[in-house]
Formats: sequence, structure tokens, C-alpha cells
Amino acid sequence: MSETGSGGGADRPWDPIVRLTHWGIAVAVLLNGLVTEDGGQVHVWIGYAALALLALRLVWGVVGTRRARFTAFPPSLSAAREHLGELVGLRYRDYPSHNPLGSLMAYALWGLLAVVTLTGIGMAGSPFDERPAFVQAEGQLDRDDDEREEENEVLEEIHEVAANLMLVLAALHVGGVALESSLAGRNLVRPMLGTRRGGGR
Amino acid sequence: MTGPEPGERRGGARSTALAVVLVLQALAAAFFAGDAVADITLAGLDLHVAMEAVIALALAAGVVFGAREMRRMVEQADRSEAALMAARGALGELIEARFAHWGLTPAEASVALMALKGFDVAAIAGLRGAALGTVRAQLAHVYAKAGVASRAELLAVFIDDLLEGPVDGPAAGGDELPAAREG
Repeated sequence: MSETGSGGGADRPWDPIVRLTHWGIAVAVLLNGLVTEDGGQVHVWIGYAALALLALRLVWGVVGTRRARFTAFPPSLSAAREHLGELVGLRYRDYPSHNPLGSLMAYALWGLLAVVTLTGIGMAGSPFDERPAFVQAEGQLDRDDDEREEENEVLEEIHEVAANLMLVLAALHVGGVALESSLAGRNLVRPMLGTRRGGGR
Repeated sequence: MTGPEPGERRGGARSTALAVVLVLQALAAAFFAGDAVADITLAGLDLHVAMEAVIALALAAGVVFGAREMRRMVEQADRSEAALMAARGALGELIEARFAHWGLTPAEASVALMALKGFDVAAIAGLRGAALGTVRAQLAHVYAKAGVASRAELLAVFIDDLLEGPVDGPAAGGDELPAAREG
């Protein structure tokens, strides 16, 4: 019957908004990074969905629960350095919200996701068009086709570099969670799934 | 002690449902906004596009307000859970302290705890794999050590402690019914 000792924040499940946006974005990033056809209709829709989830998470970072708010995990390089020292020494410590490295990771991933989705939308335009907007707009705009194309190439370059970087960071993120879990002696994915530690003993 | 309590689960389901609605609203807002922005850049502003933009804004505002409501709901659920845990922990500590004070043996303490939880002698014997007579004797020892005559009195010791505990205001000695205190 001993459920004491689980007082730390890290054991509590994350709230539903954090969980839904986290897994939604994770699925969207994996699908668009690895599965869907680049620039296809499905790719564009998933991109919009990812941006919506990101926006919701950012709103939640301001008005959400205490643990989900940005103020609970401000980006701090000095805290991250300290945290890195703990990891190198294979020590585990409970943090009430994201741990310092996790926090930096979250901001980095959000930033990259914003870049990826916005450049994607810049290229694809409206989610409801059958064809990408710039194709549809050809001839309508009094702008040079070359100029348009050049701009799209720049966007595409940024889009791809940021997307690949995001996938690398996501893999690093998974590795970090695995490392912290093994140091903590418990599965840190569980709070993000929303289930509690099973069976009191 | 396995899994969340029913009430807790209900609260969790409600906030999860609200979260799903918020996510859908956010998705809808993003698609509307994306379409509106694309239409405005391509075709300029007309009534149709303006309406789309308004819908997107309304949805976005709904998301923000819904999120605030959601925060209140989640935090309230957390608070009541924390209070429940504290009360549970406090009662557990109280019981342990009393048992120690009375000098119960581990076996007696275990039997006494089961008795407090409402198990009858037969059930306790079954759970402990002991004979009925053994459990009866252990319970008798518990009552004697606690200075009570029955299970109800044993229970009353703890109820009394809880009610007389850190309640604000002068704890009346029972000479007055706490009938109409604070509406």
C-alpha cells in the first residue's frame, strides 16, 4: 500500500493537451519525414495539422497547467550544463517539469517545426487546393516565373534542412528519454502516455 | 491501491474529451486560416474570404478560452487528488502511530488494519491463512491494548482523531451538536 515516495513531479502523468499535441506532432513529423510523398496533398494536410498542434501547444504554454507553461521550463544554458554533468555522472534527478536539456530540446524542436511548417505552407499555399498554390497561380501573378521558382527553391532548401535536423533531434530526444529512464529506474514514457505506474507495490 | 479511483478516472476522461475538442478546433482553425491567407494573397479580399478569416479567428479564440477552462479543470482535479492523497497518507500515519503506541505485534497490527477496513473475522482468517480462533484471539488482544470493547469503538478512536484534529476554531468537546456551523 505504499504509494509514498512517488511525490516527485516526474511520475505524474502529463495533462491531456501536452500528451495529445506531443504524440500528434510526433506522428505528423514521422509521417511527413519518412512516409508521405513530398509536396503531395497528404503531406500538406499533415503539415497544417502539425502547425495547428504546435500552435495549440504554444497557447497552452501560456495559459495551460503550471507544469506545461513555459515559465515551468525556461530555456537555460547553465541549468542544461549542470544537467549534462549529472547525466555524464550517471546521476538522475527529478525535475518538476521538463528537465533542462529536455526543455532546450522542446524549444529547438518547436522552432524547427515552425520553420518547417511555415516554409512548407509558403510553398504549398492553401490546404484545399488540388494543386500547390504556386502552380495554380502561375500566369495569374504578374511576377516573374523565375523569381517565383527561385523563391521556392530557397524555401525548399530551408524546409528540407530544418526537417532533417528535426528528425535528428527527435532521435536524440528519444535517446535522452531512454537514458533518463534507465537512470531513473522507471519508464519516463509512461507519464506522456497518461498512464500511472501500475500496481501500488 | 491499483489504478485511479473511479471519480478520478471520470475527471480524467472529461478533461481528455475537452482536450480532444480543443485539438480539433485548433486543426480546423489552422486549415481555415491557411486557406484564408492563401486566398487573400492570391485573389485579394472578398466577402467569402473575409468570412473564412473571421471563422478562423473565432475558432482560435475558442481554443484559447477553451484552454483556459481546461487548465482550471485539470488543476482542480490535481488539487483534489493531492488533498485525497494527503488525507489518505495522514490517516495511514495516524493508524500506524496508534498501533505503535498500543504496542501491537506485527500480526496484531495487520489483523487490526483489516478489521478497520471492514473485513470480518472469517475474511481476515481467509486472507491471512490463519484459523478463526487465532484471529479472534488477536483481535481480542488488539481491543484490550487499545482499551476498546468492540470493532466499532476501535474505529471510533480514529474517527475521533480525524474530527478533533486540526480543525479550525475551538474544537467543541462534544457538548454541543455542530449543527448549523457555516451554512
